[in-house]
This record gives sequence, C-alpha cells and structure tokens, in this order.
Amino acid sequence: MSEQVRIVGSFADEAQCAEVIERLRHLKLGKVEAFVPFPSERINEAMELKRSPVRWWVLGGGITGVISGFALTVGTSYTYPHHVGGKSLSSIPPYVIIAFELMILFGALSGVLGFLINNRFPRFEPIASYSPRFASDRFGIVVSCEPAQAERAEAMLKEGGAEEVHRESV
Amino acid sequence: MAQAPEAAYSKADGAQAFADVTYGDIDHEVLRLLQPPGRKYWYGFAFLVALVVVGGTTWLRQIYIGLGVTGLTMPSMWAIYIADFVFWVGIAHSGTLISAILYLFRTRWRTAVYRAAEAMTVFAVITAGLFPLIHLGRVWFFYWLLPYPNERWLQPDFRSPLVWDTFAVGTYLTVSTTFLLMGMVPDVAAAREASSGWRRKLYAVFSLGWQGSEEQWRHFSMVYLLLAGLATPLVLSVHSVVSFDFAMAQVPGWHSTIFPPYFVAGAIFSGVAMVITLLIPMRRWLKLERLLTPWHFDNLAKVILLTSLIITYAYIVEAFLAWYSGDVFERTTFYMRYFGPYGPLAWIMVACNCVGPLFLFSPRIRTNMVALFIISIGVNIGMWLERFVIIAGSLTTNFMPSQWGFYRPSITEILITLGSFGWFLMWFTLFSRHLPVISMTEIKEGIAWHKKALQREDAKAA
Repeated sequence: MSEQVRIVGSFADEAQCAEVIERLRHLKLGKVEAFVPFPSERINEAMELKRSPVRWWVLGGGITGVISGFALTVGTSYTYPHHVGGKSLSSIPPYVIIAFELMILFGALSGVLGFLINNRFPRFEPIASYSPRFASDRFGIVVSCEPAQAERAEAMLKEGGAEEVHRESV
Repeated sequence: MAQAPEAAYSKADGAQAFADVTYGDIDHEVLRLLQPPGRKYWYGFAFLVALVVVGGTTWLRQIYIGLGVTGLTMPSMWAIYIADFVFWVGIAHSGTLISAILYLFRTRWRTAVYRAAEAMTVFAVITAGLFPLIHLGRVWFFYWLLPYPNERWLQPDFRSPLVWDTFAVGTYLTVSTTFLLMGMVPDVAAAREASSGWRRKLYAVFSLGWQGSEEQWRHFSMVYLLLAGLATPLVLSVHSVVSFDFAMAQVPGWHSTIFPPYFVAGAIFSGVAMVITLLIPMRRWLKLERLLTPWHFDNLAKVILLTSLIITYAYIVEAFLAWYSGDVFERTTFYMRYFGPYGPLAWIMVACNCVGPLFLFSPRIRTNMVALFIISIGVNIGMWLERFVIIAGSLTTNFMPSQWGFYRPSITEILITLGSFGWFLMWFTLFSRHLPVISMTEIKEGIAWHKKALQREDAKAA
C-alpha cells in the first residue's frame, strides 16, 4: 500500500461541515472520518453509517435475562421440592417479577459490553488527528488519502468553510 | 404570518433561554466547576461527613446492642426505617424520569437538569439500600436475601416481596449507575482535555478513551437510547415492587390494588421536589444562572403540579375504596389515619402534598426561586409523612383494638435518619464539584435543535 496522508479540517458550523462531508464522500477521495462535540443529525446523515449493532447486544442480553430469571426461580423450586399449604411447587406470576428485573439488568449490562467491544474501549492512547477542540465547539473532518489527492481534499475543505486545515503524514 | 415563530418561541422558551450562549460558553461554565473547590465548600462537606459519622456510630451501637435500642415492638415492628427506605427509593425515581423517560419523549428542557437528577438517583438508591440492612436484626446475614442456597440447596422464597425488592432495587442501582456513567462519557472526555495532573488521569479512566468520532457516537447514541428504554419500565417496576411490600400484606390500609400507581406517582412527585430542593441552592452557590434558567424550573414545577394532582386523586380514591369496601377494619384504619393519634401528621401531609403545590398554577410562583424552594421542601416533608402514616398508622390500628398501640420514634432512629440525609448530600456535594454536573453535550445538542427549529419556522413564515 502506498503512503497515505491525513488532511484535517475543523469547522465552526455544523451544516457546512455536513455539506463538505457529503461532497468528499461523493468524490471518493479517501476515507472520511468526522469528529463532533455532540450527536449531530446532519453529520450523521452525511456519513451514512449503518445503525449500531449494539442493539442486538441489548436484545440478546434481555432474552438471556428472561430465561435466567425463570430458570433460577422455577429450577430452584424443584431442586428442593417443598410443598407449602397445598400450593404448587412453582408459581409463575411472582416469578415474572424476577424474570423482568433480570431482563432489564442483563439487557443493560450486555448493551454496555457491546458498546465497549464495538468501540474497542477502554483505550488510553489518543487516535491520530484528534484535537481537543472537537470535544468542545469544533466539528472536525479527517480525510485519509493518497498524497496525489491531498491538494484537492484540502481545497475542498477550505472552500467548504473550514477554519483551519492541516496535513499530517501517517 | 411573521408572528408565528414569535408566538411559538416566546417567553421562557428554550431558544430564548440559551439565546446568547455559545458552545464554548457552555464548556466554560461547566468546566470551571471542576477547579479545586474553596474552603467554604470543604466546611460544608465536613459538616455532612460529621452527620454521617453520627448516623454510622448510632448504627454501630444498634448492631452491638441489638435492634431493641430502637424501641420497635408489637404491633409496630416496621416504622421509620421502612419509611426512610420508601422515601429514598421514591426520591431516586424522578432522576430516572427526567433522564430516561423525558429523553424518550425528546423533552428539550431536561438537558440542563438531567445530569444532576440522575446523580441524585444513584445517591438516593445507595441511601435507600442501607435501610433494609439497618432494619435487620443481624445485619451480617444480609446475603440470605440473595439467590444463594443453604447447605441443603434451599433457596430464598422467590414469592416473597422482600426478595423481589432485592432484585428490583439491586437492578435499579446497577442500571442507573451504568446510565449515569455512560451518559457522562463524552462530557468527561471534554473535562479530560481541560484538566491536568491526577484529575486528568481520573477523567481519562472515566471517559474510557472517548474521542467523539462519528463512529463512537453511533454506538453511544444507540446504547444510550436503549438504556433509557430499559430504565423507563424499570423505574415503574421498582416502586411498584416497593409498594408490593405493603400491598401483598393483609394489613388494612396496605392491602390495596391502587398502591403501585399511587406509589409511582408519589415517588416522582417527591423526587422532582428533591431535584428542585437541590438545584436552587446549587444554581446560586455555583453561579449557574446562565444554564439553569427559569424556563427549566418552570417545567419542573409543572411536573410537581401534575403529580400533586395525581396524588390528591389517589388520596381521594383511597378514602372511597375504604368506604366502598364495606370492611369495618379497612374503614376504621382509614378513619384513624386522619382522626387518630397520627391525624395531625396526616393533615400536614395533605397541606404539603395537595394544597401547597396548587400555588404552582401561577406562572409567577413557578419561576420564583424562594417560593418554589419553600413548596418543594414542603413536598419533601409531606411525602416523608405520607410513608410514615401509612406504615405506623396502619400497624398501630389494625384488626384487634386490643392490639392497638402507639409508636414513638427513638433517638436512635432519628439520628440514623439524619445521618442518611448527611450521607445523601455528602455524595451529591462531592459529585457537584468533581464531575460535570450539567451535561455539556446535551445542552449543545439542544441549542442546535432550537436553532434548526427556528430556521424551519422562519422558512415556513417566508
């Protein structure tokens, strides 16, 4: 693979940033990444990312929770069969409460686990091209491309209204 | 036609509330709170720690001598400790209402207040969780409530409301702590960038390595939405389960099907009052007037007003059900609640919970911090008394008049209750100056949303 460069542009305006992302992605100059200080609908649409798979983690956790809840309650009623007052050994209505709580608990915890794994968190070394201002009030675009395309990408960022554009070698 | 946007975004509305606030201002306002606090803060903190020490020592004495020091005896084996438990669990609920339920409804005013409310939830649950332990005669056997078999594989009885409580409160604590820490990740990353030394290391751990890339936001938004979706039914279930502690028993005044909704509404009512009680001094002491605007308090006050009306309705239905049941015990217990030995407390409860909040029909009172503070303190007192009269009132005047008694709180119980307030406020105070107490990302998102909404209105008008 030939050598690549990263072009970093920072924007004060969300809409301008989204437009530039759309144009860059359309031209296919290279890989486009965005850094935003808050979840932005416009930029999200421009990036056209798929929905996060974390939702399947939550679903899996929830189903596991319900099954474990009933397994725990019904199962333990039979490991020590203890008839009281002619009542059945296991009674479903009160067990629904346990199963419900475990559904929520497992669903939430597995969702968090999914979030950590999908993001490869925790990680403590900074990602290249990240600027602290992207956590505050600036929207950042990072284009990774061939050196030949770099000038075009830089020009597009500047035209699109970027406040600052710089180039980083990888 | 040009009037339309004016009318839609008039007075204390969000667009107006943050009209002159930039993204950078928000960071500045919130992150300056993370500077090392001054001497006054630590004096206040030391006072709260002293309260905790008093409560803790009293508990140790109670463990050493035995539960007898509380003077709990037949017929009232449940009293203040259980009232405290229900009170604190209730306080927790509004935090989840504001952070999760209003999130699902896309309510814009929640952004500035939800972080404090969610933190309050976690601290209220860790306070509530202490009371079932304090109430145990032999606290070292607390783990008998966990699904843990004895040597013959006999498990706890999963039909028991006390075991449901363990599951419900345990899940609630875990999920709300997760929700709080999760929601803070992007903000803590911003704090990491603005700090140095040990604080920077601490924030680096809490922010997990957050960089705010669109890829990270994609997973974050999904997990946050789903956690809110899970927390919503959870919060309703938790106070329903707490109400089952009473409703599943046959004691007159407890054995009622209206308890779950009645308790959930009461929980949110008392919790929002506690949010206001905490936010008004916090806004003043931490100088957060730009971010916590009258618009936010106006909306919180409306939640109090609504839930107060629900509570009033529940009190009336409760009276009706007691009469309509035709059951002499139910009727007597209910009559004694208002006209028996605890009658004066019940009437204070009605004044605080049903009459006081009616003043909030006035928009001027809703944005008057002093009046709002007084009403919210009243609601806190009223809701604590509600739990007390339900518990002590029903137990001391149940079926047989020969068993009737009178319960008087002991100094042990009072000191431990005071200690619990110290414990709760101690955590909140610590939180308010060491982690971002207001969500920066969500306020920014809200401002962007309002701007867009205004642009849309303008475009329509043109």
